Formats: sequence, C-alpha cells, structure tokens
Amino acid sequence: MKLWSQKQGIGVQKLKIKLWFGEVQNGKVTRSNDLRLSFLKATNPEPLPFNLVDVGIEIFGNAKNYYQTLRKTAIQVMEEVTKSELKKEDKYIVTLVKTLEDIDEAINMLKERLKDLEGIKENYLTELFENKIGELKELRRKVDLEIDSTTSKLAPNLSEVAGSKIAAKLIERTGGLEKLMKMPASKIQLIGAEKSLYKALARLRKGKKAKIPKHGVIFLHPFVRSLPKSKRGKMARFLAAKIAIAAKIDYFRGELEESLYESVRYRYENLRRE
Amino acid sequence: MKELTRNVYIKNGMLLTKSKYGSHYGERIFDGLREWVPWRSKLAAMFIKGYLIEFRGDERLLYLGAASGTTVSHLSDILDKGVIYAVEYSPKPFSKLLELAKDRDNIIPLLFDASKPWQYSGIVELVDFIYQDIAQKNQIEILRENIRFFLKSNCDFLIMVKARSIDSLEDPNVVFSKVKEDLSRDFKILSTGSLLPFHKDHIFIHGKKIE
Repeated sequence: MKLWSQKQGIGVQKLKIKLWFGEVQNGKVTRSNDLRLSFLKATNPEPLPFNLVDVGIEIFGNAKNYYQTLRKTAIQVMEEVTKSELKKEDKYIVTLVKTLEDIDEAINMLKERLKDLEGIKENYLTELFENKIGELKELRRKVDLEIDSTTSKLAPNLSEVAGSKIAAKLIERTGGLEKLMKMPASKIQLIGAEKSLYKALARLRKGKKAKIPKHGVIFLHPFVRSLPKSKRGKMARFLAAKIAIAAKIDYFRGELEESLYESVRYRYENLRRE
Repeated sequence: MKELTRNVYIKNGMLLTKSKYGSHYGERIFDGLREWVPWRSKLAAMFIKGYLIEFRGDERLLYLGAASGTTVSHLSDILDKGVIYAVEYSPKPFSKLLELAKDRDNIIPLLFDASKPWQYSGIVELVDFIYQDIAQKNQIEILRENIRFFLKSNCDFLIMVKARSIDSLEDPNVVFSKVKEDLSRDFKILSTGSLLPFHKDHIFIHGKKIE
C-alpha cells in the first residue's frame, strides 16, 4: 500500500476518492445516482486528504440536509445488509467446517501417497506433490482464519466460552445456532461422542457394564483436556452448561456477556487446585 | 439531584441522563431521565467513579464496538446536538442498534469491522472524539488505525481496555502497563483508572492526539 503523499507524486488526477455520496477526481465531485451502491463502496486505502463533511455540505447545500441524507441512507442500506448477513452466517460456518475437514483429509491422503512414492523412487513428481501439499496447507490456514472471524461474529459468547474452533464444530454438528440453542447442556456435552454413547447404552440395556463417555467435541477445550482424567467429567459438565447458556444469549441478544467466561475460568482453576 | 456534566445527573447514587426518548434496554425512566446502569455500561461505571468527561453537546463522535447500543443511547442523550457514528460488526446486536438509530436523529449506524477503517473511510467524517469498547486481541491496533483515519488533532479518545482479550494468561496489571506505555509513545495520556467493582479486568484510558 502506498502512502497518500507518494501517490500524489504520480499525480492526484489518477486517484479516485470514493465517498458515500459520490466520487472525487481532479478536485471535481461527481454525485452518485445510486446512494445505496456508493455507500457500500466508499472504501479508500488511506485517510482522505480533506474533511468529508466539508465536501458533503457543499454538495447537499447545508449541514442539516447532509446529515439527514446520510442517516437515511445508512439506515436503509444497513437494514438490508443486516438481514442478509443474519440469514447466511450459520450456513456459512457449517460449510466452512466441512470444507476444513475435507482439506484435512485430502492433505493426509496425499501425504500418505507421497510417502509411498518416495519409498520407491524420487523424482520431479514427488516434488510436485510436495508443492501441492504446501498449497493445500495454505488454503487450510485461510479457511481456518475465516472460521475464527465468522464464528466470533455470529456467536461471540459461544466463541469466548468454548473457543471459536469448538464453537464452529458444535454449530456444524448440530446444523446451526438455532438448533444448538435448543439443546440441553447434557446433550451438548456429548456432541461428537454419539457413537460411543450409543454403544455404551446398548451394552447397559443388555445388562453389561459400560463406560458412558464424558465429553465429545468439547474435549478439545484446553480447560477440559489439561485436567487429570478424574476431573474432566466435572469440567465437561460445567462447560457444557455454560455453552448452552452462551448459545441462547448469542441467538437472542448477540451481545458479549463477560461474566460467562469468568465463571468457566473460575471453575477450572478451582478444579485444578483441588 | 446534581448535574455532573452535560445532561448527566446523579440522584441518590443513581446515574441518569436527560432524555426525551423511551427505554432502550429495559432501564427505568423517571420523568425525562433515563437510568444509566454502571453494570451495563463501562462509561457509566467510569462516571460514577468520579472520572468525568466534559462534552459540549455538539461533538462528532466515532463509537467503535457499539454492540446493541446501551452506551450509545446515553451518549446520544448527552450529545443531543452532535452526531454519533456507531460501528459494530456483529449483525445480531446491530439489529437492535438499528432500531435505536431509527428512533433518534443523531446516530449513524454502521455495520463494519472496526479493524478495517478504510472500509468506512468515505462515510465517516473527521471527528472530535473516539470512544472504543471492543473485546479483541488487537484492540490497541484498532484504536490507532481509527485515530489515524478519523480523529482531528488536539482531540480526545477514550478506550475501555480489556486485559483478558489481549492476553488471557498474563496478570492484567502487566497487560495494562504495557498498553499504557504503548499508547503514551504517540499520544498524551490524560487519565486512566480501573472500573471495579462494576467491570473486572478492565481499565479506561483517556488520551489526546497531539500533532
């Protein structure tokens, strides 16, 4: 990204400054004929070389008119954006998590084949393979980052309490925030451990002894994982309860509730000390 | 009843703002005065602890991390002749903020990511004040970028720093002194203080951009 002053060296003429109500080029202002469109495209790499409102007042005649139009446009555009964002986000997370799993599988499979190949003969082909795997890893990293940012946007409390990775997995497994929100904590605790749960239940039905699993996906949480085995069940149960609350806050209110994470931390520290 | 600062009153230890509008988040109203709960709003906690910020009432203010508009609604009472650009990037609370903006005429609601100020550089004008309350790891960077883009020289900013989001393992006091040191390199720090007992692991930093 070049600095404004450097760009000025090349000539201001070439540079278009995009404002919500139009564009400035060669010091001349062109008004946009679709405010909704220009509002969302008012992106400039560097701070503007003038105060936006000065130009605005010139165009709209007076400050009152300027602010009224700005406010009206902002509300109108933002209402549309909010609606479509709210609809899309959790489907997006579900798809992203699935994508990540597929990429992981592909990487593993390719790595295995590469190992076989290398054992027999090393040539240009093995190198190509390595490059491809490298590219896939880069793609994986990008998808991972996107999952983080989307999840913490859609479900800030869930992401804070469970971590964005686990939050995304829980949303994916249940098929959306709404379904997760309706789940009891006891079920959330075992998401991802369905197979061993039903196995255990089947054994119990036959009158045999069985170990019922203590945790599914939430085992990945550092607070569960880092405790000794005997305490993991307690922590998992507590964490699942808080996750259930977090999902409900995210669904209905969507605002970060700071005390939630604090209580999880407090419980963890107590368990560790016990 | 005593007026603390513009449109902000204190009565029997309760903070209130003068308002002609109704309740936004379930707060109580006593004829034309809306209760401002310090447990809900960090700015209220700061005021009730005695750290005041003097507003003229006609400022242009950029609010980063507006959430559902709890604090914004009171700032909108205080800046009754001003304009508040309220930025929030999560659509859920934003829809509530949008309702608030429809009722009042001094709030411009913006659903954007505050860490990407260039995305709204053609919408927000140069402002007299930046207020930030964002629980993100890079909250200081976000503040810096927005100051660079939008804050006039010799104007103030106020940030609510959350230690746990910057480093969840480090002692909060260590995090705070690092942040203060970092900010004092480029800005003049006017005052700082904790928000206890209302908000744990938080401090406010009130500073000035000097050129």
